[in-house]
Amino acid sequence: MNEPTVFIVDDDLAVARSLHWLIDTVRLRVETFSSAQAFLDGFDASKPGCLVLDVRMPGMSGLDLQERLAAQRINIPIIFITGHGDVQMAVRAVQAGAFDFVEKPFNDQDLLDRIQKAIAFNSGERDKEAQRAQLRALFAGLTPREREVLDMVVEGMSNKAVANALGLSAKTVEVHRAKVMEKMRARSVSDLVKMAMQRDAWSKL
Amino acid sequence: MNSEGDMLLLALVVLGGSLVAALTLLGVLLLRLREAERRVSEKETTHESVLDRLQENEYRLRTIIESEPECVKLQAEDGTVLEINPAGLRLVDANQAADIVGRQIYSIVAPECIDSYRENMRRVFAGEALVYEFKAITLKNRIAWMETHAAPLRDARGNIYALLGITRDITEHKQAEEQARRHQTELARVARLSTMGEMATGIAHELNQPLSAIANFSRGCIRRLRSGGMSPNELIEPLEEVCAQAERASDILRHVRDFVRKSESQLKPMDVNQIVRAVIKFTEHEARQHRTLVRLELDPHLPKVLADAIMIEQVVCNLVRNAVEAMVEANSPRREVVIHTRRFAAQAVEVEIADTGPGIDAAVIDQVFDQFFTTKREGVGMGLAISQSIIEAHGGRVRAESGRDGGAILRFTLQLSEQQAHKRERADSLHS
Ligand SMILES: Nc1ncnc2c1ncn2[C@@H]1O[C@H](COP(=O)(O)OP(=O)(O)O)[C@@H](O)[C@H]1O
Ligand SMILES: [Mg+2]
Repeated sequence: MNEPTVFIVDDDLAVARSLHWLIDTVRLRVETFSSAQAFLDGFDASKPGCLVLDVRMPGMSGLDLQERLAAQRINIPIIFITGHGDVQMAVRAVQAGAFDFVEKPFNDQDLLDRIQKAIAFNSGERDKEAQRAQLRALFAGLTPREREVLDMVVEGMSNKAVANALGLSAKTVEVHRAKVMEKMRARSVSDLVKMAMQRDAWSKL
Repeated sequence: MNSEGDMLLLALVVLGGSLVAALTLLGVLLLRLREAERRVSEKETTHESVLDRLQENEYRLRTIIESEPECVKLQAEDGTVLEINPAGLRLVDANQAADIVGRQIYSIVAPECIDSYRENMRRVFAGEALVYEFKAITLKNRIAWMETHAAPLRDARGNIYALLGITRDITEHKQAEEQARRHQTELARVARLSTMGEMATGIAHELNQPLSAIANFSRGCIRRLRSGGMSPNELIEPLEEVCAQAERASDILRHVRDFVRKSESQLKPMDVNQIVRAVIKFTEHEARQHRTLVRLELDPHLPKVLADAIMIEQVVCNLVRNAVEAMVEANSPRREVVIHTRRFAAQAVEVEIADTGPGIDAAVIDQVFDQFFTTKREGVGMGLAISQSIIEAHGGRVRAESGRDGGAILRFTLQLSEQQAHKRERADSLHS
């Protein structure tokens, strides 16, 4: 399930088969689709990996598919395969957020390297996304009072200052603080600070 | 019919130009004269008056034949030339009758035409009247194409004893025909070429498909072989794929090769008026057949434009043909195509083709340049599309509109050739 998959979308079956045969050599799982629509209908967005996509295809083109995926917030990295003289299309694709493109006929190592990079990028993204989800879950586990305490602690306020600000006893603040450390699985205040910074950074995204 | 009547009729027919009818009559007359002469001498009928009359008639007949501007000759079945008129002597470059009379006609027929010539002789002596062409090598070794109208001559018993032939030199006509044919081939090539220009990107893409498949299959094999642990059997399938893709690539190439033979277009400083005139020479015939008048209004003081003449001819040809077709289809009572050439702004020349047909429907005027757009039952819809791509490749523009009083007006521009533009610039700066 966690093994990355290379999704190939190419209307030319011979080219799709040849890509499959080539990518097999680096022991990556490969799934091929003969049209953009077939890909949209049949692919499992939860799978990690990357998409190798022919720019020119009858019906829905590679660029159209890219647009559709973006609209559905599916962030699979796309490597476009462009033909001779498709520079403009390649530029458009990259501007629209494509991971990379290779021009046909391409060097095999070049393509495989780019595929590996795209997969690494995707898994990095997925890791980050997982961390983000985990952190969100951790923050979500705090009570409103604990969140207040946390916000003040990461701003560098002493227990006493927090107690004063919230009209609590120093003892009570001490208890809240220990609870926050435990729930956030933080070993030190600096861990907490990092987590809070990350949360703020993401919330700005 | 009396002899004089015959003569008169013969003269009229000759003047009227009906060659075959004239031949037959001529044959009958000659025959009658000879028969009469023979009878007269055989029976030794010494009626002076009859003889005189006959001789007089033969004399008149000979005068006509002698002064006939076309070559008239009599040939025996074996090819011996029996008689020939002065025009005929000139045609075969003979100085006097003895150079050719009594000799074989085959001595002036080109070797490659002798077999077909013999066959035609055989048919005439079997009773047919024929028209045939052959290549001749004259007594002065001049090569010329000839056309002969031939008919059999029969004696009183109905036996064919000679071939009567009227022959003329059609060398020029042949050459013009050949030139027109070559020109047509060239036009067809350009048509293919410009269509090809539009297809070039598509072909490159098409060719890239099998090439990348071949590269991928082969690289996949090499990688597996390098890393070991691969049985030869496993290579068969991908290698078969490689072969199939190589064949696919060569099919595409063959297709392209068939499409164009010569490929480079030649942009040269050209006289637009000359291009227009050249086209009209080739479309005039068709236009006349459709009772269409082609009128030229060419500005004689136009600077040269940078153009591939044959391509621009193709454009003009398409536009004129469309105009004629539109007028024929609409059965327009007045059919006129007017071609104007004129200066257009500082750097271009404009060619305008206007007709008196139905014009172009406002609803479709934006589509007429689209590929495969046609309103004709037998139309292809490539004429204007090709014309547009040719003109745009020349840096010009082409437009279509309907004229105020009906017909369609098609205009295109061509850039002045560089030198001309410079000259003009210099001239302009001198003036200002
Ligand atoms: N002179 C004209 N008058 C009227 N209609 C025209 C004229 N020239 C072109 N058209 C229209 O434009 C169409 C496309 O022309 P063309 O590209 O030459 O294709 P085709 O001649 O095969 O139809 C024609 O079918 C006709 O409807
Ligand atoms: Mg046409």
